[in-house]
Amino acid sequence: MNDFAKKLFQDSKLVKETIPVVVSSRIRLARNLADFKFVKYACKGDLHAVAERCEKVLASCPIFTNSTILNMGDLLDHEKLALVERHLCSQEFIMEANESKLFFTDDHLTSIMINEEDHLRMQVFRPDLNFKTMFDKINAIDDHVSENLNIAFDNRYGFLTACPTNVGTGMRASVMLHLPALVITKQIGNLILAVQKLGFVVRGLFGEGSEAQGNFFQISNQQTLGFAEVDILSRLTQIIRSIIDYELNAREIVKKEKIIWLYDNIGRALGILRGCYCLTPTDAINCISLMMLAVDLGYLPNMLRGDLQQVMMKIQSSHIQVLENKVLNTSERDIKRAELLREFFSTVPNLKFD
Amino acid sequence: MEKCQFCGRPATVHMTQVVNNKTTVIRMCNECAAKHGLFDKEGLPFAMLSGLGEALFSGMKQNLSASGLICSKCGCTPMSFKETGRLGCPHCYKDLKLLIDGIIESSQKGTIHKGKYSREGTMAATTPPNDSFTDTSTKRHPRKLSTEEKLNELQGMLDAAVKAEQYEEAARLRDEIKTLKGSKGVS
Repeated sequence: MNDFAKKLFQDSKLVKETIPVVVSSRIRLARNLADFKFVKYACKGDLHAVAERCEKVLASCPIFTNSTILNMGDLLDHEKLALVERHLCSQEFIMEANESKLFFTDDHLTSIMINEEDHLRMQVFRPDLNFKTMFDKINAIDDHVSENLNIAFDNRYGFLTACPTNVGTGMRASVMLHLPALVITKQIGNLILAVQKLGFVVRGLFGEGSEAQGNFFQISNQQTLGFAEVDILSRLTQIIRSIIDYELNAREIVKKEKIIWLYDNIGRALGILRGCYCLTPTDAINCISLMMLAVDLGYLPNMLRGDLQQVMMKIQSSHIQVLENKVLNTSERDIKRAELLREFFSTVPNLKFD
Repeated sequence: MEKCQFCGRPATVHMTQVVNNKTTVIRMCNECAAKHGLFDKEGLPFAMLSGLGEALFSGMKQNLSASGLICSKCGCTPMSFKETGRLGCPHCYKDLKLLIDGIIESSQKGTIHKGKYSREGTMAATTPPNDSFTDTSTKRHPRKLSTEEKLNELQGMLDAAVKAEQYEEAARLRDEIKTLKGSKGVS
Protein backbone atom coordinates (compact mmCIF):
# COMPACT_ATOMS: atom_id res chain seq x y z
CA MET A 1 0.00 0.00 0.00
CA ASN A 2 1.43 3.40 -0.91
CA ASP A 3 1.13 6.47 1.32
CA PHE A 4 -1.95 7.75 -0.40
CA ALA A 5 -3.74 4.42 -0.01
CA LYS A 6 -2.83 4.33 3.68
CA LYS A 7 -4.31 7.79 4.21
CA LEU A 8 -7.40 6.80 2.30
CA PHE A 9 -7.97 3.45 3.95
CA GLN A 10 -7.17 4.51 7.49
CA ASP A 11 -10.15 3.67 9.67
CA SER A 12 -12.78 6.23 9.00
CA LYS A 13 -14.81 7.05 12.11
CA LEU A 14 -17.66 7.69 9.72
CA VAL A 15 -18.48 4.00 9.52
CA LYS A 16 -18.34 3.35 13.25
CA GLU A 17 -21.15 3.87 15.74
CA THR A 18 -23.70 3.79 12.95
CA ILE A 19 -27.46 3.74 13.47
CA PRO A 20 -30.28 2.33 11.30
CA VAL A 21 -31.59 4.43 8.38
CA VAL A 22 -29.12 7.32 8.86
CA VAL A 23 -25.89 6.59 6.97
CA SER A 24 -24.12 9.90 7.61
CA SER A 25 -24.70 13.62 7.94
CA ARG A 26 -22.70 16.59 6.77
CA ILE A 27 -22.54 20.38 7.17
CA ARG A 28 -20.70 22.44 4.58
CA LEU A 29 -19.83 26.14 4.75
CA ALA A 30 -18.78 28.16 1.70
CA ARG A 31 -16.45 31.12 2.27
CA ASN A 32 -14.46 33.46 0.04
CA LEU A 33 -11.56 35.84 0.56
CA ALA A 34 -12.74 39.41 0.12
CA ASP A 35 -9.66 40.62 -1.75
CA PHE A 36 -9.64 38.06 -4.57
CA LYS A 37 -11.82 37.20 -7.53
CA PHE A 38 -13.92 34.08 -7.17
CA VAL A 39 -12.21 30.87 -8.33
CA LYS A 40 -13.78 30.69 -11.79
CA TYR A 41 -12.56 34.19 -12.69
CA ALA A 42 -9.27 34.25 -10.80
CA CYS A 43 -5.90 33.94 -12.54
CA LYS A 44 -3.43 31.21 -11.62
CA GLY A 45 -1.36 33.60 -9.53
CA ASP A 46 -4.40 34.66 -7.51
CA LEU A 47 -5.45 31.07 -6.92
CA HIS A 48 -1.95 30.26 -5.76
CA ALA A 49 -2.00 33.20 -3.33
CA VAL A 50 -5.44 32.16 -2.03
CA ALA A 51 -4.25 28.58 -1.51
CA GLU A 52 -1.13 29.73 0.32
CA ARG A 53 -3.02 32.04 2.66
CA CYS A 54 -5.72 29.50 3.42
CA GLU A 55 -3.23 26.70 3.97
CA LYS A 56 -1.25 28.78 6.44
CA VAL A 57 -4.34 29.67 8.46
CA LEU A 58 -5.80 26.17 8.42
CA ALA A 59 -2.51 24.56 9.41
CA SER A 60 -2.62 26.63 12.61
CA CYS A 61 -6.13 25.44 13.45
CA PRO A 62 -5.97 22.91 16.33
CA ILE A 63 -8.44 20.55 14.66
CA PHE A 64 -5.96 19.88 11.85
CA THR A 65 -3.11 18.75 14.12
CA ASN A 66 -3.48 15.18 12.84
CA SER A 67 -4.36 15.65 9.23
CA THR A 68 -3.34 15.30 5.61
CA ILE A 69 -2.81 18.09 3.10
CA LEU A 70 -2.96 17.12 -0.57
CA ASN A 71 -2.05 19.17 -3.64
CA MET A 72 -4.74 17.97 -5.98
CA GLY A 73 -2.54 18.59 -9.00
CA ASP A 74 -0.10 15.90 -7.79
CA LEU A 75 -2.69 13.10 -7.72
CA LEU A 76 -3.62 10.51 -10.34
CA ASP A 77 -7.16 10.51 -11.70
CA HIS A 78 -8.31 7.44 -9.78
CA GLU A 79 -6.78 8.82 -6.58
CA LYS A 80 -8.79 12.01 -6.96
CA LEU A 81 -11.94 10.03 -7.72
CA ALA A 82 -11.39 7.86 -4.64
CA LEU A 83 -11.49 11.04 -2.52
CA VAL A 84 -14.85 11.86 -4.12
CA GLU A 85 -16.07 8.33 -3.39
CA ARG A 86 -15.14 8.95 0.26
CA HIS A 87 -17.10 12.24 0.15
CA LEU A 88 -13.95 14.07 1.26
CA CYS A 89 -14.23 16.34 -1.77
CA SER A 90 -16.67 17.06 -4.59
CA GLN A 91 -16.67 16.03 -8.23
CA GLU A 92 -16.37 19.68 -9.26
CA PHE A 93 -13.29 20.07 -7.07
CA ILE A 94 -11.26 17.48 -8.98
CA MET A 95 -12.13 18.77 -12.46
CA GLU A 96 -9.70 21.70 -12.44
CA ALA A 97 -7.29 20.77 -9.75
CA ASN A 98 -4.28 22.94 -10.56
CA GLU A 99 -4.13 25.21 -7.53
CA SER A 100 -6.50 23.19 -5.37
CA LYS A 101 -5.62 21.75 -2.01
CA LEU A 102 -7.48 19.36 0.22
CA PHE A 103 -7.20 19.16 4.01
CA PHE A 104 -8.69 16.22 5.85
CA THR A 105 -8.32 14.94 9.38
CA ASP A 106 -7.16 11.40 10.13
CA ASP A 107 -10.63 10.39 11.32
CA HIS A 108 -12.09 11.58 7.96
CA LEU A 109 -14.69 13.64 9.86
CA THR A 110 -13.47 17.06 8.72
CA SER A 111 -12.32 18.16 5.29
CA ILE A 112 -11.62 21.48 3.63
CA MET A 113 -11.43 22.13 -0.09
CA ILE A 114 -9.38 25.14 -1.10
CA ASN A 115 -10.26 26.63 -4.50
CA GLU A 116 -13.36 24.64 -5.31
CA GLU A 117 -16.22 26.80 -6.63
CA ASP A 118 -15.56 29.04 -3.63
CA HIS A 119 -12.16 29.71 -2.09
CA LEU A 120 -13.05 27.65 0.96
CA ARG A 121 -15.50 24.80 1.26
CA MET A 122 -15.36 23.44 4.80
CA GLN A 123 -17.16 20.24 5.71
CA VAL A 124 -17.76 18.17 8.82
CA PHE A 125 -19.31 14.71 8.88
CA ARG A 126 -20.87 12.38 11.42
CA PRO A 127 -22.17 8.82 11.23
CA ASP A 128 -25.44 9.80 12.93
CA LEU A 129 -27.88 12.66 13.23
CA ASN A 130 -26.34 15.25 15.55
CA PHE A 131 -26.21 18.65 13.93
CA LYS A 132 -25.60 20.44 17.20
CA THR A 133 -22.18 18.80 17.67
CA MET A 134 -21.31 19.19 14.02
CA PHE A 135 -22.31 22.83 13.93
CA ASP A 136 -20.22 23.66 17.00
CA LYS A 137 -17.26 22.00 15.35
CA ILE A 138 -17.53 23.71 11.97
CA ASN A 139 -18.35 27.01 13.62
CA ALA A 140 -15.11 26.85 15.59
CA ILE A 141 -13.17 26.28 12.37
CA ASP A 142 -15.06 29.13 10.71
CA ASP A 143 -14.29 31.46 13.64
CA HIS A 144 -10.62 30.60 13.33
CA VAL A 145 -10.73 31.24 9.58
CA SER A 146 -12.57 34.55 9.82
CA GLU A 147 -10.27 35.82 12.57
CA ASN A 148 -7.26 35.23 10.36
CA LEU A 149 -8.53 35.93 6.86
CA ASN A 150 -10.52 38.76 5.35
CA ILE A 151 -13.73 36.92 4.45
CA ALA A 152 -16.19 38.39 1.93
CA PHE A 153 -19.28 39.39 3.90
CA ASP A 154 -22.12 41.83 3.40
CA ASN A 155 -24.56 42.86 6.11
CA ARG A 156 -27.52 42.32 3.84
CA TYR A 157 -26.48 39.32 1.74
CA GLY A 158 -24.37 37.56 4.37
CA PHE A 159 -21.40 35.48 3.23
CA LEU A 160 -20.76 36.20 -0.44
CA THR A 161 -20.39 33.16 -2.68
CA ALA A 162 -19.58 32.57 -6.33
CA CYS A 163 -23.12 31.39 -6.94
CA PRO A 164 -26.00 33.38 -5.40
CA THR A 165 -27.75 30.09 -4.58
CA ASN A 166 -25.27 29.66 -1.70
CA VAL A 167 -25.22 33.25 -0.45
CA GLY A 168 -26.21 34.13 3.13
CA THR A 169 -25.20 31.41 5.52
CA GLY A 170 -23.19 29.66 2.79
CA MET A 171 -24.35 26.55 4.56
CA ARG A 172 -25.52 23.29 3.06
CA ALA A 173 -26.53 20.58 5.51
CA SER A 174 -27.29 17.10 4.27
CA VAL A 175 -28.18 13.68 5.58
CA MET A 176 -27.64 10.40 3.73
CA LEU A 177 -30.52 8.04 4.38
CA HIS A 178 -31.01 4.35 3.62
CA LEU A 179 -34.68 3.94 2.70
CA PRO A 180 -35.23 0.45 1.26
CA ALA A 181 -38.74 -0.06 2.65
CA LEU A 182 -40.02 3.24 1.24
CA VAL A 183 -38.67 2.12 -2.14
CA ILE A 184 -40.19 -1.37 -1.85
CA THR A 185 -43.60 0.02 -0.84
CA LYS A 186 -43.34 2.63 -3.64
CA GLN A 187 -43.85 5.55 -1.24
CA ILE A 188 -40.53 7.17 -2.07
CA GLY A 189 -41.86 9.24 -4.99
CA ASN A 190 -44.45 10.97 -2.82
CA LEU A 191 -41.91 11.50 -0.08
CA ILE A 192 -39.49 13.19 -2.47
CA LEU A 193 -42.24 15.53 -3.66
CA ALA A 194 -43.25 16.36 -0.08
CA VAL A 195 -39.65 17.10 0.93
CA GLN A 196 -39.17 19.34 -2.10
CA LYS A 197 -42.30 21.29 -1.22
CA LEU A 198 -40.74 22.05 2.16
CA GLY A 199 -37.76 23.67 0.41
CA PHE A 200 -35.36 20.76 0.73
CA VAL A 201 -33.70 18.73 -2.01
CA VAL A 202 -33.41 14.96 -2.50
CA ARG A 203 -30.39 13.64 -4.38
CA GLY A 204 -28.51 10.38 -4.96
CA LEU A 205 -25.41 8.94 -3.33
CA PHE A 206 -22.98 11.54 -4.65
CA GLY A 207 -25.02 14.71 -4.32
CA GLU A 208 -25.70 17.05 -7.20
CA GLY A 209 -26.51 15.32 -10.48
CA SER A 210 -26.22 11.79 -9.14
CA GLU A 211 -28.93 9.16 -9.25
CA ALA A 212 -30.22 7.17 -6.31
CA GLN A 213 -28.47 3.81 -6.00
CA GLY A 214 -29.04 1.05 -3.52
CA ASN A 215 -31.91 2.91 -1.83
CA PHE A 216 -29.59 5.68 -0.61
CA PHE A 217 -30.91 9.23 -0.69
CA GLN A 218 -29.32 12.51 0.32
CA ILE A 219 -31.60 15.23 1.74
CA SER A 220 -30.29 18.78 1.99
CA ASN A 221 -31.45 22.37 2.40
CA GLN A 222 -32.11 24.38 -0.75
CA GLN A 223 -32.28 27.88 0.72
CA THR A 224 -29.29 29.54 2.33
CA LEU A 225 -30.51 33.14 2.70
CA GLY A 226 -33.07 34.53 5.11
CA PHE A 227 -32.76 31.84 7.77
CA ALA A 228 -30.32 31.44 10.65
CA GLU A 229 -28.11 28.34 10.55
CA VAL A 230 -29.83 26.95 13.63
CA ASP A 231 -33.27 27.29 12.03
CA ILE A 232 -32.20 25.48 8.87
CA LEU A 233 -30.62 22.70 10.91
CA SER A 234 -33.54 22.18 13.25
CA ARG A 235 -36.00 22.11 10.34
CA LEU A 236 -33.86 19.58 8.54
CA THR A 237 -33.61 17.50 11.73
CA GLN A 238 -37.41 17.53 12.07
CA ILE A 239 -37.86 16.42 8.46
CA ILE A 240 -35.26 13.66 8.81
CA ARG A 241 -36.88 12.41 12.01
CA SER A 242 -40.23 12.07 10.31
CA ILE A 243 -38.67 10.33 7.28
CA ILE A 244 -37.02 7.85 9.68
CA ASP A 245 -40.43 7.16 11.22
CA TYR A 246 -41.98 6.64 7.76
CA GLU A 247 -39.20 4.24 6.82
CA LEU A 248 -39.52 2.25 10.06
CA ASN A 249 -43.31 2.02 9.58
CA ALA A 250 -42.83 0.90 5.98
CA ARG A 251 -40.46 -1.83 7.22
CA GLU A 252 -43.22 -3.13 9.49
CA ILE A 253 -45.63 -3.15 6.55
CA VAL A 254 -43.12 -5.04 4.37
CA LYS A 255 -42.59 -7.58 7.17
CA LYS A 256 -46.34 -8.08 7.45
CA GLU A 257 -47.33 -8.12 3.80
CA LYS A 258 -44.27 -9.21 1.82
CA ILE A 259 -42.30 -11.40 4.18
CA ILE A 260 -41.56 -14.19 1.65
CA TRP A 261 -40.49 -11.61 -0.93
CA LEU A 262 -38.23 -10.03 1.70
CA TYR A 263 -36.60 -13.34 2.78
CA ASP A 264 -36.14 -14.30 -0.86
CA ASN A 265 -34.48 -11.03 -1.85
CA ILE A 266 -32.21 -10.85 1.20
CA GLY A 267 -31.29 -14.54 0.86
CA ARG A 268 -30.48 -14.22 -2.84
CA ALA A 269 -28.43 -11.05 -2.26
CA LEU A 270 -26.25 -12.83 0.31
CA GLY A 271 -25.90 -15.70 -2.14
CA ILE A 272 -24.66 -13.34 -4.83
CA LEU A 273 -22.21 -11.61 -2.47
CA ARG A 274 -20.76 -14.96 -1.35
CA GLY A 275 -20.59 -16.53 -4.78
CA CYS A 276 -19.97 -13.75 -7.32
CA TYR A 277 -16.92 -13.62 -9.61
CA CYS A 278 -17.77 -10.45 -11.52
CA LEU A 279 -20.07 -7.76 -10.08
CA THR A 280 -20.92 -4.23 -11.26
CA PRO A 281 -20.92 -1.36 -8.72
CA THR A 282 -24.71 -0.95 -8.96
CA ASP A 283 -25.40 -4.66 -8.36
CA ALA A 284 -22.95 -4.66 -5.46
CA ILE A 285 -24.51 -1.62 -3.80
CA ASN A 286 -28.03 -3.01 -4.23
CA CYS A 287 -27.01 -6.31 -2.60
CA ILE A 288 -25.20 -4.55 0.26
CA SER A 289 -28.28 -2.35 0.79
CA LEU A 290 -30.31 -5.53 1.41
CA MET A 291 -27.64 -6.76 3.86
CA MET A 292 -27.94 -3.48 5.77
CA LEU A 293 -31.69 -3.98 5.91
CA ALA A 294 -31.08 -7.54 7.18
CA VAL A 295 -28.93 -6.13 10.02
CA ASP A 296 -31.59 -3.54 10.92
CA LEU A 297 -34.29 -6.24 10.98
CA GLY A 298 -32.18 -8.50 13.19
CA TYR A 299 -31.46 -11.20 10.56
CA LEU A 300 -27.72 -10.47 10.83
CA PRO A 301 -25.69 -9.37 13.92
CA ASN A 302 -25.88 -5.65 14.75
CA MET A 303 -22.09 -5.30 14.85
CA LEU A 304 -21.97 -5.85 11.08
CA ARG A 305 -23.57 -2.50 10.27
CA GLY A 306 -20.33 -0.50 10.36
CA ASP A 307 -18.42 -3.23 8.51
CA LEU A 308 -20.99 -3.19 5.71
CA GLN A 309 -20.54 0.54 5.23
CA GLN A 310 -16.78 0.06 5.23
CA VAL A 311 -17.06 -2.65 2.56
CA MET A 312 -19.41 -0.50 0.49
CA MET A 313 -16.74 2.22 0.54
CA LYS A 314 -13.90 -0.14 -0.40
CA ILE A 315 -15.51 -1.78 -3.41
CA GLN A 316 -16.06 1.46 -5.31
CA SER A 317 -14.24 1.63 -8.63
CA SER A 318 -11.51 4.11 -7.71
CA HIS A 319 -10.93 2.61 -4.26
CA ILE A 320 -10.19 -0.72 -5.95
CA GLN A 321 -7.64 0.96 -8.22
CA VAL A 322 -5.99 2.73 -5.29
CA LEU A 323 -5.82 -0.58 -3.44
CA GLU A 324 -4.27 -2.30 -6.47
CA ASN A 325 -2.14 0.80 -7.13
CA LYS A 326 -2.86 0.74 -10.88
CA VAL A 327 -5.46 1.70 -13.46
CA LEU A 328 -7.95 -1.12 -14.14
CA ASN A 329 -10.61 -1.38 -16.84
CA THR A 330 -14.27 -1.99 -16.02
CA SER A 331 -14.24 -5.77 -16.15
CA GLU A 332 -10.95 -6.01 -14.22
CA ARG A 333 -12.58 -3.87 -11.52
CA ASP A 334 -15.75 -5.99 -11.50
CA ILE A 335 -13.64 -9.12 -10.98
CA LYS A 336 -11.60 -7.56 -8.17
CA ARG A 337 -14.79 -6.22 -6.57
CA ALA A 338 -16.31 -9.70 -6.58
CA GLU A 339 -13.14 -11.09 -4.99
CA LEU A 340 -13.26 -8.55 -2.15
CA LEU A 341 -16.95 -9.23 -1.56
CA ARG A 342 -16.58 -13.04 -1.57
CA GLU A 343 -13.78 -12.71 0.93
CA PHE A 344 -15.78 -10.48 3.28
CA PHE A 345 -19.12 -12.27 3.05
CA SER A 346 -17.59 -15.71 3.61
CA THR A 347 -16.99 -14.51 7.19
CA VAL A 348 -20.56 -13.24 7.62
CA PRO A 349 -22.80 -15.64 9.60
CA ASN A 350 -25.90 -17.20 8.05
CA LEU A 351 -29.17 -15.28 8.07
CA LYS A 352 -31.46 -15.84 11.05
CA PHE A 353 -34.99 -15.17 9.85
CA ASP A 354 -37.75 -14.78 12.45
CA MET B 1 -32.92 58.30 -0.70
CA GLU B 2 -33.01 55.25 -2.93
CA LYS B 3 -30.31 55.04 -5.55
CA CYS B 4 -30.61 54.32 -9.27
CA GLN B 5 -29.85 50.65 -9.84
CA PHE B 6 -27.91 51.46 -12.97
CA CYS B 7 -25.73 54.41 -12.06
CA GLY B 8 -26.11 54.96 -8.32
CA ARG B 9 -27.46 58.52 -8.59
CA PRO B 10 -30.60 59.37 -6.59
CA ALA B 11 -33.56 57.47 -8.02
CA THR B 12 -36.57 59.42 -9.15
CA VAL B 13 -38.40 56.70 -11.04
CA HIS B 14 -39.71 53.67 -9.17
CA MET B 15 -41.22 51.09 -11.43
CA THR B 16 -43.18 48.17 -9.98
CA GLN B 17 -43.90 45.37 -12.42
CA VAL B 18 -46.09 42.37 -11.83
CA VAL B 19 -45.46 39.52 -14.25
CA ASN B 20 -46.87 36.05 -13.49
CA ASN B 21 -47.60 37.19 -9.93
CA LYS B 22 -43.94 38.09 -9.44
CA THR B 23 -43.36 41.67 -8.42
CA THR B 24 -40.16 43.43 -9.35
CA VAL B 25 -39.25 46.95 -8.30
CA ILE B 26 -36.80 48.84 -10.46
CA ARG B 27 -35.40 52.17 -9.32
CA MET B 28 -33.80 54.59 -11.73
CA CYS B 29 -32.72 58.16 -12.13
CA ASN B 30 -34.35 60.26 -14.88
CA GLU B 31 -31.47 59.81 -17.27
CA CYS B 32 -31.27 56.05 -16.99
CA ALA B 33 -35.03 55.81 -17.29
CA ALA B 34 -34.83 57.79 -20.51
CA LYS B 35 -31.97 55.60 -21.72
CA HIS B 36 -34.15 52.58 -21.21
CA GLY B 37 -37.02 54.19 -23.05
CA LEU B 38 -39.21 54.70 -20.02
CA PHE B 39 -39.68 58.44 -20.58
CA ASP B 40 -40.24 60.57 -23.62
CA LYS B 41 -38.64 63.98 -23.99
CA GLU B 42 -41.37 65.76 -22.07
CA GLY B 43 -40.71 63.53 -19.12
CA LEU B 44 -43.95 61.60 -19.41
CA PRO B 45 -43.64 57.90 -18.78
CA PHE B 46 -44.28 55.94 -21.96
CA ALA B 47 -45.82 53.20 -19.91
CA MET B 48 -48.63 55.50 -18.86
CA LEU B 49 -49.11 56.81 -22.36
CA SER B 50 -49.25 53.49 -24.06
CA GLY B 51 -50.29 51.27 -21.17
CA LEU B 52 -47.90 48.61 -22.40
CA GLY B 53 -46.36 47.58 -19.13
CA GLU B 54 -45.44 44.14 -20.34
CA ALA B 55 -43.75 45.32 -23.47
CA LEU B 56 -41.63 47.54 -21.25
CA PHE B 57 -40.76 44.66 -19.02
CA SER B 58 -39.43 42.61 -21.90
CA GLY B 59 -37.51 45.70 -22.94
CA MET B 60 -35.99 45.87 -19.46
CA LYS B 61 -35.01 42.23 -19.60
CA GLN B 62 -33.11 42.73 -22.81
CA ASN B 63 -31.54 45.79 -21.34
CA LEU B 64 -30.22 43.73 -18.45
CA SER B 65 -27.79 42.16 -20.91
CA ALA B 66 -27.28 45.26 -22.99
CA SER B 67 -27.57 47.84 -20.23
CA GLY B 68 -23.85 48.03 -19.68
CA LEU B 69 -24.30 46.41 -16.26
CA ILE B 70 -20.76 45.42 -15.38
CA CYS B 71 -18.77 44.80 -12.23
CA SER B 72 -16.23 47.59 -11.87
CA LYS B 73 -13.78 45.30 -10.06
CA CYS B 74 -13.72 42.14 -12.20
CA GLY B 75 -15.66 42.91 -15.37
CA CYS B 76 -18.30 40.26 -14.80
CA THR B 77 -21.54 41.01 -16.71
CA PRO B 78 -25.00 39.42 -16.73
CA MET B 79 -23.91 37.68 -19.94
CA SER B 80 -20.82 36.11 -18.40
CA PHE B 81 -22.87 35.02 -15.40
CA LYS B 82 -25.32 33.38 -17.78
CA GLU B 83 -22.47 31.51 -19.43
CA THR B 84 -20.62 30.30 -16.33
CA GLY B 85 -23.32 30.33 -13.67
CA ARG B 86 -20.81 32.02 -11.37
CA LEU B 87 -20.14 35.58 -10.31
CA GLY B 88 -16.70 37.08 -10.69
CA CYS B 89 -15.88 38.56 -7.29
CA PRO B 90 -17.46 39.76 -4.03
CA HIS B 91 -17.91 43.23 -5.54
CA CYS B 92 -20.36 41.80 -8.12
CA TYR B 93 -22.95 41.80 -5.33
CA LYS B 94 -22.82 45.62 -5.46
CA ASP B 95 -22.38 46.33 -9.14
CA LEU B 96 -24.69 43.61 -10.45
CA LYS B 97 -27.30 44.09 -7.74
CA LEU B 98 -30.17 44.15 -10.22
CA LEU B 99 -29.15 40.77 -11.61
CA ILE B 100 -28.43 39.27 -8.20
CA ASP B 101 -31.67 40.36 -6.60
CA GLY B 102 -33.53 38.69 -9.46
CA ILE B 103 -31.65 35.41 -8.96
CA ILE B 104 -32.09 35.56 -5.21
CA GLU B 105 -35.79 36.18 -5.60
CA SER B 106 -36.21 33.09 -7.74
CA SER B 107 -33.87 30.77 -5.85
CA GLN B 108 -34.09 31.82 -2.20
CA LYS B 109 -37.00 32.32 0.15
CA GLY B 110 -35.45 35.14 2.15
CA THR B 111 -33.77 38.30 0.93
CA ILE B 112 -31.83 39.28 4.05
CA HIS B 113 -29.11 37.39 5.85
CA LYS B 114 -30.23 36.21 9.27
CA GLY B 115 -27.41 33.84 10.10
CA LYS B 116 -23.94 34.22 11.51
CA TYR B 117 -22.22 37.56 11.24
CA SER B 118 -18.62 37.62 10.17
CA ARG B 119 -16.03 39.00 12.58
CA GLU B 120 -18.73 40.63 14.68
CA GLY B 121 -18.65 38.07 17.44
CA THR B 122 -22.42 37.69 17.28
CA MET B 123 -22.09 33.94 16.98
CA ALA B 124 -22.80 33.30 20.64
CA ALA B 125 -26.27 34.65 20.10
CA THR B 126 -26.99 32.43 17.11
CA THR B 127 -25.64 29.30 18.74
CA PRO B 128 -28.66 27.32 19.85
CA PRO B 129 -29.24 26.15 23.38
CA ASN B 130 -28.02 22.59 23.84
CA ASP B 131 -31.26 20.82 23.18
CA SER B 132 -32.82 22.81 20.39
CA PHE B 133 -31.89 20.28 17.70
CA THR B 134 -33.39 17.41 19.61
CA ASP B 135 -36.40 19.04 21.22
CA THR B 136 -38.47 20.60 18.50
CA SER B 137 -40.63 22.50 20.96
CA THR B 138 -37.69 24.46 22.36
CA LYS B 139 -37.87 28.11 21.52
CA ARG B 140 -34.70 29.82 20.49
CA HIS B 141 -33.65 32.83 22.48
CA PRO B 142 -34.27 35.85 20.29
CA ARG B 143 -31.05 37.33 19.05
CA LYS B 144 -30.22 40.91 19.96
CA LEU B 145 -29.72 42.81 16.75
CA SER B 146 -27.21 45.57 16.32
CA THR B 147 -28.62 48.86 15.00
CA GLU B 148 -27.15 48.14 11.62
CA GLU B 149 -28.69 44.67 11.46
CA LYS B 150 -32.01 46.08 12.60
CA LEU B 151 -31.84 48.75 9.90
CA ASN B 152 -31.11 46.10 7.30
CA GLU B 153 -34.02 44.02 8.45
CA LEU B 154 -36.38 47.00 8.46
CA GLN B 155 -35.18 48.01 5.00
CA GLY B 156 -35.95 44.51 3.77
CA MET B 157 -39.39 44.60 5.35
CA LEU B 158 -39.96 48.00 3.78
CA ASP B 159 -38.99 46.68 0.34
CA ALA B 160 -41.32 43.74 0.81
CA ALA B 161 -44.17 46.01 1.93
CA VAL B 162 -43.69 48.27 -1.09
CA LYS B 163 -43.64 45.23 -3.35
CA ALA B 164 -46.84 43.95 -1.83
CA GLU B 165 -48.26 47.48 -2.19
CA GLN B 166 -48.98 47.67 1.54
CA TYR B 167 -48.33 51.37 1.73
CA GLU B 168 -49.56 51.95 5.28
CA GLU B 169 -47.14 49.34 6.57
CA ALA B 170 -44.42 50.78 4.34
CA ALA B 171 -44.97 54.26 5.77
CA ARG B 172 -44.78 52.92 9.31
CA LEU B 173 -41.54 51.09 8.51
CA ARG B 174 -40.09 54.16 6.81
CA ASP B 175 -40.76 56.22 9.96
CA GLU B 176 -39.23 53.53 12.13
CA ILE B 177 -36.10 53.51 9.97
CA LYS B 178 -35.94 57.31 10.21
CA THR B 179 -36.19 57.23 13.99
CA LEU B 180 -33.56 54.51 14.24
CA LYS B 181 -31.21 56.32 11.92
CA GLY B 182 -31.76 59.51 13.93
CA SER B 183 -30.89 57.79 17.19
CA LYS B 184 -27.78 56.32 15.58
CA GLY B 185 -26.77 59.73 14.28
CA VAL B 186 -26.85 58.67 10.63
CA SER B 187 -28.28 61.10 8.15
